[in-house]
Amino acid sequence: MARTDASRVELLRGTLDLLILRTLLPGPSHGHAIARHIQRTSEDLLQVETGSLYPALYRLEARGWVAASWARSDKGKRARYYRITAQGRRQLITERSKWDAFARAMGLLLKPLDGEGR
Amino acid sequence: MTSLLRKVAWWLRRRRKEDQLLEELQFHLDEETEERRAAGLTEEQARRAARRDLGSVPRVLEETRPLWTWSALEQLAQDSRYAARMLWKAPVFTIVVSLSLALGIGASTGLFSFVDALLLRSLPIHEPERLVQIRVVPVLPGGLKKPMETFERRVFDDVRGRSDVFAAAVGFWPVDRPLITIDGAPEPDREVQFISANFFRDLGVAPILGRPPEAADDDVAIVSARWWRSRFGGDGSVLGRSLDVNGRLFSIIGVAPPRFHGFRVEYSADLWLVSNSQPIALGLIARLAPGVTATQASGAMDGYFRQHLLPRFKGAEQIETEALPAGRGLSNLRDQYRPALLALLALVLVVLLTTCSNVGNLLMLRNAVRARELAVRAALGAGRHRLAMQCLVESTFLAAIGCALGLAFARWGVSVVAGMLPLPAVPDSLTFYTDARTVGFAIVVSLIAALLFGLAPAWRATDVDLAGSLRTSQSGTQPRRARRMGRALVACQVAFCVVLLVAAGLFGRTLRNLSQVDIGYSTDRLLQVSIDTRIAGYQKGQVGPAVRLLLDRVSAIPGVRSVTSLRNAVMRHSGTSVAVNLPGLQRRGDEMWEGAHVGPSFFETMGIDLVRGRTFNAQDFASDRPAYVINEAFARHYFPGEDPVAREIGIVGIVEDVRFHGVREEIVPFMYQKLPTEPDRVNTLLVRVESDARAVVPQIREAVLGVHPRLFTGIRSLGEDIDRDIVLERMVALISGFFSGLGLLLASIGIFGVASYTIALRTRELAIRLALGAGRWSVVRESLRDTMVVFGLGLAAGTAAAVAVVRIGASLVADLLFGLTATDAANITGAAAVMVAVAAAACVLPAHRVTTVDPLVGIREP
Repeated sequence: MARTDASRVELLRGTLDLLILRTLLPGPSHGHAIARHIQRTSEDLLQVETGSLYPALYRLEARGWVAASWARSDKGKRARYYRITAQGRRQLITERSKWDAFARAMGLLLKPLDGEGR
Repeated sequence: MTSLLRKVAWWLRRRRKEDQLLEELQFHLDEETEERRAAGLTEEQARRAARRDLGSVPRVLEETRPLWTWSALEQLAQDSRYAARMLWKAPVFTIVVSLSLALGIGASTGLFSFVDALLLRSLPIHEPERLVQIRVVPVLPGGLKKPMETFERRVFDDVRGRSDVFAAAVGFWPVDRPLITIDGAPEPDREVQFISANFFRDLGVAPILGRPPEAADDDVAIVSARWWRSRFGGDGSVLGRSLDVNGRLFSIIGVAPPRFHGFRVEYSADLWLVSNSQPIALGLIARLAPGVTATQASGAMDGYFRQHLLPRFKGAEQIETEALPAGRGLSNLRDQYRPALLALLALVLVVLLTTCSNVGNLLMLRNAVRARELAVRAALGAGRHRLAMQCLVESTFLAAIGCALGLAFARWGVSVVAGMLPLPAVPDSLTFYTDARTVGFAIVVSLIAALLFGLAPAWRATDVDLAGSLRTSQSGTQPRRARRMGRALVACQVAFCVVLLVAAGLFGRTLRNLSQVDIGYSTDRLLQVSIDTRIAGYQKGQVGPAVRLLLDRVSAIPGVRSVTSLRNAVMRHSGTSVAVNLPGLQRRGDEMWEGAHVGPSFFETMGIDLVRGRTFNAQDFASDRPAYVINEAFARHYFPGEDPVAREIGIVGIVEDVRFHGVREEIVPFMYQKLPTEPDRVNTLLVRVESDARAVVPQIREAVLGVHPRLFTGIRSLGEDIDRDIVLERMVALISGFFSGLGLLLASIGIFGVASYTIALRTRELAIRLALGAGRWSVVRESLRDTMVVFGLGLAAGTAAAVAVVRIGASLVADLLFGLTATDAANITGAAAVMVAVAAAACVLPAHRVTTVDPLVGIREP
């Protein structure tokens, strides 16, 4: 089962787009699968809310970073599959380097002091 | 670019997009349910968990929709439809609010149109900013300046000739109360001006019908568009018709464009006349030559005027030439009106605020009734922002209705105020025009008002306590905070209203004081006849005999008790400064005093009583020996403790103090001199008649015209002159009274609302009290306690504000007041008393309801 609410991490604003693009890198996927993948890969730390996932997907599509088409799922149902576009890949690269810089900066700033918490 | 294209493409397929999203969400739901069932939940449990996990589908739709809609616009359209429906469904509310707003917006717009006409708007003339009025100001001893605004034709021609300074110059001369007849029938009063032939052409004012006058024209006339419509049927047949002005025939050759009424702002001309022989003197308006500034122009003309005009002014050492901006018209009253208009603008702002708080409170009450509906909409996923937006759209709708009604109200209000002023012809500035300026102003005011009255209730109403509102069966109760805000708004209305009442009291009492001023003589049946011996062409030596003939003829008219002549008119602020050296009279430096040159039987005709000595007699007028009559103030000031008559220095008599030039005039030392045997000019006859003045007027006119066809320029009763003298005060009093009436109406609606509302809420409690034996009166008192607290706070705040306002504004409005000061305590107390009385009246109905509550019925009420 999913982790308890207390241990979940709030998704940072703007990071959902990045996560979706990354998730789509190996191949096309539908909305539900994307949500599941993010949740599992983050060891249940991140849970994507449907309320924000679908608006985000449509937004990415509107920007031309992903393309969508209807196809049959493995269970034979009609599902909307999202595929990352060339433009989306470029976007992912810039976003990821920005994120890396940000994470590094945060890491440096939040480095525990010697003796802290012991 | 591609994103815009995609947006358009998506917008075109927005229905399908939405279906697509719904299908996708359904797929998501199915997958989720599937997964949960696989984890061991029952079908039902799995479905419910998945549903919960998915959250609100409308919300997802709402958030995704902006991608294929022009959401702001579409939401607006949706909100508008909704708002229209809601307003339609609550007609009483809609009508009350719109009327309220219409009053506030209409009052502001009406006043704006007046302020615009008087202070802001340019005349409909080509390049009005290049026009200047030429004035010459001789500096008299003692620094006294009496500007000269009219010049003879020769000066006009010389100024026109200075093409290095002026591109053009035009002249005009107002005719004082002329007698106009068309086809033998006399016309009501019209403002008439003689103009130089180039007037219309050089101003760039093209007639809408006919042609402008040419240099070769003689005795031709142009009529204003409004007179053309009202008197001449508004068609082409007007051209070629002739009208008789003071006994001379003029033929109409053109119609001036609408809203052009000449340069004098207070006197809108309806008829312009071109004649070779008239006028003798002209007011000068010049168009600056390209690149010349007004300062350069006055500098360039200075030498000319000094050379030609300085010798004319006895005692003047210096002469200044002025070139004043004329593009907004000329107004002697502009400076005098400005503080009045600013005061009224401040008041109208208060009216508008009262309206806004009134409407704000009504909206708040209404939103309370709708609390449940709002809660349902919030529960269905409408965001607070969206709900507030919807409320604001409703406010804007109300403001729009208020704006349209307000314009109609402004039109009506302005015509009512104009009609109540004692003016023979309504000046154009007091005519409301529904044009871009007034409509634009009304729209801006409405939008500001919509924000003012709509924002707070919108924010309050959408602060929905979801669970509470949905659970409670009562739909009419407001959350506590909203109720407090509503009461604060009613208190504001009361406060604003007190300020309005204080202002109305000040101006109303000023008017009353002015109309009760003892001017010292009776204006009853006293007629003032204006004549112009210069226009008639009399030279010195001809004036005396002509006037004597005139006096004889007029006094022979049956019904005329007595008649006199004098140089300048009475009650028209046309003061004369005089100075004579008399032995024993201490003049300080170059000091001069007020005076008048009067003819035989002046004091008898005016009814000014003699205090000592005698008035002028026949010998005085026959000889050149100086004789003076002074007023009591003169005797007190210059001959304290002695009798100037007994000193035999030429002062033959002392008469009582009167107000000679204007109602507001202070009593000052005043000296009457006799008209010389051969005066150079005489401008006025005063006629005291026996009974009905109207019957005598035509005969007097005939008599004057009989002496010389161009001598007569007008006739008016002295009462009319006095009315004109206080027209500004009357207007301010009328408008501020109007405003305070509006304020009272709005405040009493507010108080009535609070009282009724609190009583309605407490009906059950009151019924229980009654059932337990409480006296009716104590219950009434109890039920109105809340209202009294609200009212008391408003009254206190309003009184404090009024005190502060009159303190700060005292010096600004001092000139507008008469017989009392702005900080007059009785006035403020009076305003508070009126407010209390009106509030009490507003509570009568709700209180009456309390006394009629049937305990048995009331207890069962929810």
